[in-house]
Amino acid sequence: MSSGAEILRVEGLSKSFFGVEVLHQVSFALHQGETIGLVGENGSGKSTMMNILGGIHKADAGSITLAGEAYVPGGPRDAQAAGLAFIHQELNLFENLSIEENVFVSGFPRRWGRLPLIDRGRISERTRQLLDMVDVRYPPNTLVGRLSQGERQLVEIAKALSVDARIILFDEPTTSLTRRETAKLFEIMERLRVQGIAVIYVSHILGDVLRVCDGVQVLRDGHLVGGGTRDEMTIESLISMMVGRQIENLFPERDTKPSVAPALTVEGVTQPGVVKDVSFILHESEVLGLAGLMGAGRSELARILFGLDPFEAGSISVHGEVLETVTPETCMARGMAFLTEDRRGEGLLMEASIIDNAGLPSLQSYANERTGWIDRTKLAADVADVSRRLQVNTTDYGSMLVKNLSGGNQQKVVIGKWLLRHPKVFLLDEPTRGIDVGAKYEIYKIVNDLVAEGAAILFISSEMEELIGMCDRILVMNRGEITGIHHRHEFDNEKILETAMRTSLDDFERSH
Amino acid sequence: MEAKEQAARRRRWTILLLQSAPLIAFALVLVVFASLSDRFFTLSNFTNIVTQSSHIAIMAIGMTFVLLTAGIDLSVGAVMYVVVAVLALVLGDLPVLMAFPLVALLGLALGAVNGFFVVQLRGLHPFIITLSTLFILRGLALWMTDTRMVFVEEPIMALGRTSYFGVPWAIWMFLAVFVSAWLVLRETPFGRQVYAVGQDPVAAAKAGINVPMVLFAVYCICGLCAALGGLVSIAQVAAASSTFGFQKEFPVIAAAVLGGTSLFGGRGGVVGTVFGAILIQTVENGLVMTNANPYIYPLVTASIIFFAVLIDSQRSRIAEAMRRRSIRVEEG
Amino acid sequence: MLRAREASGKPASASAAGARHLVERLILSEYLVFYLTLIYFVAVLPIVPEIASPRSIYNMLTDMLPLLVVAIGQTFVLIVAGIDLSVTSIIAMASVVGASVMTSDGGYLGDTWLAVPVGVLTFLVVGGLVGWFNGWSCTRLGMPPIIVTLVGLMFLSGLAIWYTTGHSETSSIAGLPRSFVAIGQGSAYGIPHSLWVALAVGITAHLLLSRTVFGRWLYAIGINRKAAEVSGVPVKTAILWAFVISGVCAAIASILYTGRLETGTPVLGERILLDIIAAVVIGGTSLAGGKGKIVWTVGGVLFLVVIDTSLKLLGMSLFVVLGAKGAVILFAAIIDSTRQRILMRH
Repeated sequence: MSSGAEILRVEGLSKSFFGVEVLHQVSFALHQGETIGLVGENGSGKSTMMNILGGIHKADAGSITLAGEAYVPGGPRDAQAAGLAFIHQELNLFENLSIEENVFVSGFPRRWGRLPLIDRGRISERTRQLLDMVDVRYPPNTLVGRLSQGERQLVEIAKALSVDARIILFDEPTTSLTRRETAKLFEIMERLRVQGIAVIYVSHILGDVLRVCDGVQVLRDGHLVGGGTRDEMTIESLISMMVGRQIENLFPERDTKPSVAPALTVEGVTQPGVVKDVSFILHESEVLGLAGLMGAGRSELARILFGLDPFEAGSISVHGEVLETVTPETCMARGMAFLTEDRRGEGLLMEASIIDNAGLPSLQSYANERTGWIDRTKLAADVADVSRRLQVNTTDYGSMLVKNLSGGNQQKVVIGKWLLRHPKVFLLDEPTRGIDVGAKYEIYKIVNDLVAEGAAILFISSEMEELIGMCDRILVMNRGEITGIHHRHEFDNEKILETAMRTSLDDFERSH
Repeated sequence: MEAKEQAARRRRWTILLLQSAPLIAFALVLVVFASLSDRFFTLSNFTNIVTQSSHIAIMAIGMTFVLLTAGIDLSVGAVMYVVVAVLALVLGDLPVLMAFPLVALLGLALGAVNGFFVVQLRGLHPFIITLSTLFILRGLALWMTDTRMVFVEEPIMALGRTSYFGVPWAIWMFLAVFVSAWLVLRETPFGRQVYAVGQDPVAAAKAGINVPMVLFAVYCICGLCAALGGLVSIAQVAAASSTFGFQKEFPVIAAAVLGGTSLFGGRGGVVGTVFGAILIQTVENGLVMTNANPYIYPLVTASIIFFAVLIDSQRSRIAEAMRRRSIRVEEG
Repeated sequence: MLRAREASGKPASASAAGARHLVERLILSEYLVFYLTLIYFVAVLPIVPEIASPRSIYNMLTDMLPLLVVAIGQTFVLIVAGIDLSVTSIIAMASVVGASVMTSDGGYLGDTWLAVPVGVLTFLVVGGLVGWFNGWSCTRLGMPPIIVTLVGLMFLSGLAIWYTTGHSETSSIAGLPRSFVAIGQGSAYGIPHSLWVALAVGITAHLLLSRTVFGRWLYAIGINRKAAEVSGVPVKTAILWAFVISGVCAAIASILYTGRLETGTPVLGERILLDIIAAVVIGGTSLAGGKGKIVWTVGGVLFLVVIDTSLKLLGMSLFVVLGAKGAVILFAAIIDSTRQRILMRH
């Protein structure tokens, strides 16, 4: 890949928060039309790096040179003015405004220059041009609330182009995109490259990084520990640089075999527009994977099974007994547990302690039958027990707020709160999303421990490697239907993906 | 396939019905009262209704700005009273042309106090801040009037009797405020930024919007509108007792919410608000026209607001449920 | 603002730094409002020594108790991130309905031995029913609490007045039994009966919130309703009960107020709505939910009552009292925001 002149040079950049150094003497350069990937575990300093470039934080030491001039942004606006656009992981769009208003919300062109009236004609015209560049075919006055996640991402890019960005920073842009939307994004990134725009691309998905970036820089604990061109790197080498050691085995061994006793039996569960005629049996001591593309209905199915969303037809039985009413309470009474994919939004009380969080689902079992008082000593002791078992990285269970824990430790707290109930059927929805490689391994071990105790696990994940590494069988869903079942001895990435795109089980059986 | 289409059509109808529910309710109110009283469905009576609702409408327009930023201003009734006290006791028989800008300035200034504290004490709900200014301003007004009835002088009272082109002055005032508010919210950068701040203040700050400035400004506007509402109201009634403007914040908020402005910010607008204010007044007027027992006025009004909000909440619920149904399908 | 002053004042000496440290610790204390009350009390003591007289303390206590009881109910609702604006109209409604049962002026059970027990029960049922309706509308119909209870306020205030016209020639219902009136104004050995009522409500509420599963559920719902739902908390039922508790507490307060006035009055409590919410919030309970304690609410009510009483003793007029109340709320708001900033810094 030929690259042009140097456009950005970062030299000896350091930054500390509350006396803790999160970036240490980081230096690198970026050229016109070049795309570099920035990878590292959570807490490695990636976001701090991006926030400094985007003008949100100030560096403590070091210098940044932008197109030969010193660049010291005082805020996001300065960054924009300098031609640096930052596309955040959470999109910065307003659903209640139209596309054109979103593009120009930071500075509307005015009618006849002076009047405080928005020049509607001009913003529509300009927005239409920008939308053409990113292949979005909507009138500029469409409300953003009506666009899909992927389309919004493209609008965000159009917004970046509107300020004539020379450098675009992408922070995890694909986490909520479908495969098709991701492909589209990469296509547009390629176009940007041709136009000479430089890109810094932050992502957890190393395969994508190697696919779209010319070079990769790896951060670990605030230090730049390595880097090179795409050809010099492999996923394995990137991972070992990120964690600082050789990862030999990503998945722990499990020596238990699934039993033949059914733990969870799902028959013909249907909810129009969400899932259709879903049937399967999850056995005791089994890890049953649930694979599928985004929007296949996996999380929706898990929510229905746990009574969080309604369903119109079908039945759910636990250990052979049909659930008459399906609510979280009745599910929990039968020994079910559900780990949500939305840790912040649904999993945790961020403003509460570990004890408050972990105790929440099992409070009733700590209550005195007569007075209804909670046995707080016993609760605290049990929470401490389970936290130690899960190796939660703190011993302050009673007063430290959960929001101050790292993502991996937060996830352990969510798991811990269910372990206190000794679940027999555990629905795990993306249990390792957004957490470090190290913490992932620990969560896999917890899953194996549960299975050894006879628990049945429904394991939903978007990472195929993880499913193949962890599951006894893998169910594949597409458009709300089960389209295939794969057994451990025949696991194959390609084949599973193929099933994920098939429309129904009939096709699957015909082809077998 | 057939059944699917039918279901989709039914859903579309449900949504359409729910969307136009306030209009249907309004039509129903009109039909009921018109059938009960032959004086109700007349032009002069409608002029009456709009005139009587104009002060609430003006104040509710100001409130809409604040609600759009997910804030609330409980002090509007107190601002109204302070303005009238100043008008009656300090400005005396100043000509209207002089009194008017002074009233507007006073409203802006009182709103600015709210705005100042809301911006300075970020993280604290505006509910509590404007609650305290409500007490302080009421205290101030009671001190000025010595809790006695106050009267405005002739120039202001004359306003209440003035009409231009057969339309009462209050309605012109109401129209002027409505049109400017509509323009500001829809067609100015500031107006769109109000919506953006209400939707997501953090994202707004990231987009380079001066969030504190926007918040400060909406409280100023609300104060201004409260002052104008006070002026319109006193011109009609000429005298203010110590309960003038007391708990006015409730019908004002009710009008805005009835018109579809969300208490959680980012959704709504002044057209709905005006509609809400007029609907409330229409009901009250209809009750008077049909010689209903005066004790049931608040009961009927409260019930109508309840059902309007009920319909609104059902609408958002159904919309959300439908969003959940149409999960995104990833093409292979 | 307080912080700005702090920051600009250079710590000239160790003692100044020590004093600043003390101020900071005071502000961070969760019982700050008690300290403020104490400081204020000591500060006004030289100006109005009467405030410390047994009589004035007795008066403050009896003023405080009914307010405290409503505020305790409100605390439950605020913890689940709701708000109950209908409490004062519940006080009024319960007052006239209860009185219409008990009055010797042609009450339903006037002059029978059933009058007082059934009358008291009527108060509680009215409060409970209104609370239940509020909670039901908020949970089952998914309406915002502020509007539901605001409409409740408008409706019930009107209804209470209408109801009175059907039961009395005047604007209130008099002729209440002596034994009922005693609950509100009687005392034994110098201790008002209402104190026992308030104590019982307060202790029950405190234990309910701090010790029981229901209490923990309420906090969890206030912090993150969705997470509570996913954790199997019966969110809707719990919120419903919070509103019922608020309604019943308002009804108990109505018993105390009605007893003190010896009449069922449809405008009872009309002017204390904002005081109630202010007291709870000054105590430290958050309007955003998830945070609140009965002890804090006691502090908030105490604070408001001490200020109110001192101003009246000072011979201040209504407008000064109003203005001062506003200033106090604002002051509490500023303190709270300062507290947040200090916490952020740490």
